[in-house]
Amino acid sequence: MSQRETPSVLSAPDAGPVEEQGHRSMLTQRRADRFAHVEPKGKRVYTALQRAEMLVDDGSFVAMTPLRSAGAGQGSGVVAGWGTTDGHPLVVVSHDAAVASGAIGAVMAESIQKAQRFAIDKGYPIVYINDSGGARIHDGIFALHGCGGIFALNIEAQKRIPQISLILGPCAGAAAYSPALTDWTIMVKEQGQMFLTGPDIVKAATGEDASAEDIGGSDLHTRVSGVAHLEVDSEEEAFHATRLLLSFLPTHKGGAQKRHSSVPANPGAVERLPGIVPEKSSIVFDMNAVIDGVLDNGARLELMPTHAPSILTLFARLDGHAVGVIANQPNARGGILDSKAAVKAARFVDFCGRFDLPVVTFVDVPGFLPGTVEEGRGIITHGAKLLKAYVETTSPKLTVVVRKAYGGAYIAMGAASLGADVNWAWAQSEIAVMGPGGAVALLHRRALKEAEEPTVLRDELAAVYREEVARPYLAAEAGIVDDVIHPEETRDRMTAALRMLTAGTD
Amino acid sequence: MFAARAEIVANVWKIVAREGDQVGAGDVLAILETMKMEIPVYAEAPGFVSKILVEVGQIVQEGDPLIEIDETASA
Repeated sequence: MSQRETPSVLSAPDAGPVEEQGHRSMLTQRRADRFAHVEPKGKRVYTALQRAEMLVDDGSFVAMTPLRSAGAGQGSGVVAGWGTTDGHPLVVVSHDAAVASGAIGAVMAESIQKAQRFAIDKGYPIVYINDSGGARIHDGIFALHGCGGIFALNIEAQKRIPQISLILGPCAGAAAYSPALTDWTIMVKEQGQMFLTGPDIVKAATGEDASAEDIGGSDLHTRVSGVAHLEVDSEEEAFHATRLLLSFLPTHKGGAQKRHSSVPANPGAVERLPGIVPEKSSIVFDMNAVIDGVLDNGARLELMPTHAPSILTLFARLDGHAVGVIANQPNARGGILDSKAAVKAARFVDFCGRFDLPVVTFVDVPGFLPGTVEEGRGIITHGAKLLKAYVETTSPKLTVVVRKAYGGAYIAMGAASLGADVNWAWAQSEIAVMGPGGAVALLHRRALKEAEEPTVLRDELAAVYREEVARPYLAAEAGIVDDVIHPEETRDRMTAALRMLTAGTD
Repeated sequence: MFAARAEIVANVWKIVAREGDQVGAGDVLAILETMKMEIPVYAEAPGFVSKILVEVGQIVQEGDPLIEIDETASA
């Protein structure tokens, strides 16, 4: 019998063949029971265990307390464990939607907290695969207490490890709150939803007829609300995006950065770089072309691509270092800063700061969007968050003004005053307290009022202001920008600065 | 039928398209002006310009319809 040849450490030394056979079959039965009722339901193709296994390197997943159970055949309601991605350790929590729709009971909450505690203590990133209807009503306040404990650990983890949430099914209440306390949330289109209360309760409370997609679909959350940061088409794509995201991040605060060898920028983009930015400051262009002409050619991951698209937030590499890139995008809403753009950028800068990722900022900003709508949204408060994020971030900060930077928006985009380590301005750029048109209207109010042709005079004065006041040499002579450079010099300048700023950290 | 909309509060600076024009996806229909930036308004799908809903100089709010395109008429 093959069983005789692989003795179990749990079998008593004097156990005979029959008794040992009993122990072995009991364990086999227990393991089978754990997953007896976990067939995928609804749009799901994979079980909670399969999802965890697919996320990590092949064969690396190990479940923690796999026999933990809230009742016969139920398991704990969650598959928690650890594995590796590209060889780096990772903790995974995967809701078991086949058991009570993934509802979080006391035992499930305890299992999740155990995994969170492990991740925080060891300094490993944690990925939450969310597919849960929220707190489990049958467990009453014990479920609520458990959910609160998960939130508290989410918040503790923010200071220590990256946390990523995947939304692979309808997630209500507590299952929607926990992702909001993590760093990045990825939703599968037409499969994942997040809401505090589902369609039935919404209907009962407000009379509103809304589908789960209307209340919490990926389109709403990645485009409008900003609650989630990436929309993907399938679970496989969600796992791929998670692994790509992790490839830019250290396993924990203070951990080694994942340094690659330096790769030159895309040669075509380098060739086009000097002519990318239209000289006329009112003409829009695609800032991605500038980013491509400066950073290492290779993988990028843009977060929140469809929310507040007037600012770009993405991970990329410069001279092999993983960096966070913030850039105004003139191609979307003229590249303005508004409340949503400020919150998006602040969140990204804060994340980079927490995990020591250098922040590279490309500036071409017409200003903060004025008006009653934006003031009513609290643009002052939201803009202030961006200032705070830059000031508090102690990782290397490099800023280049590629065309224009006016007023408060100039400061907000990582200016020297907010602690940028090195600042450059391209030769044709404009840096000023306000745009030439607005500035001359204030400075020459009386002359313009008395002029026979005020628009002609205003244009003349604006042209003089642009050349004499707004050109970057004034800022460079004052030491407010470190140097004025040509576009094609940007990569070398940034690379040299980054090497200086990260010396001794490899 | 769909309408090209304003992506931001702006002043209508130029209207490029005319009623009855055949347009392709990505064609510029109008140019808005806000914060001294020229913001192009593109056709998201091919069709015929069925109605121009705004005038040059008019202030439009984010989401306002600007130009109606009849995509069925292009077949």
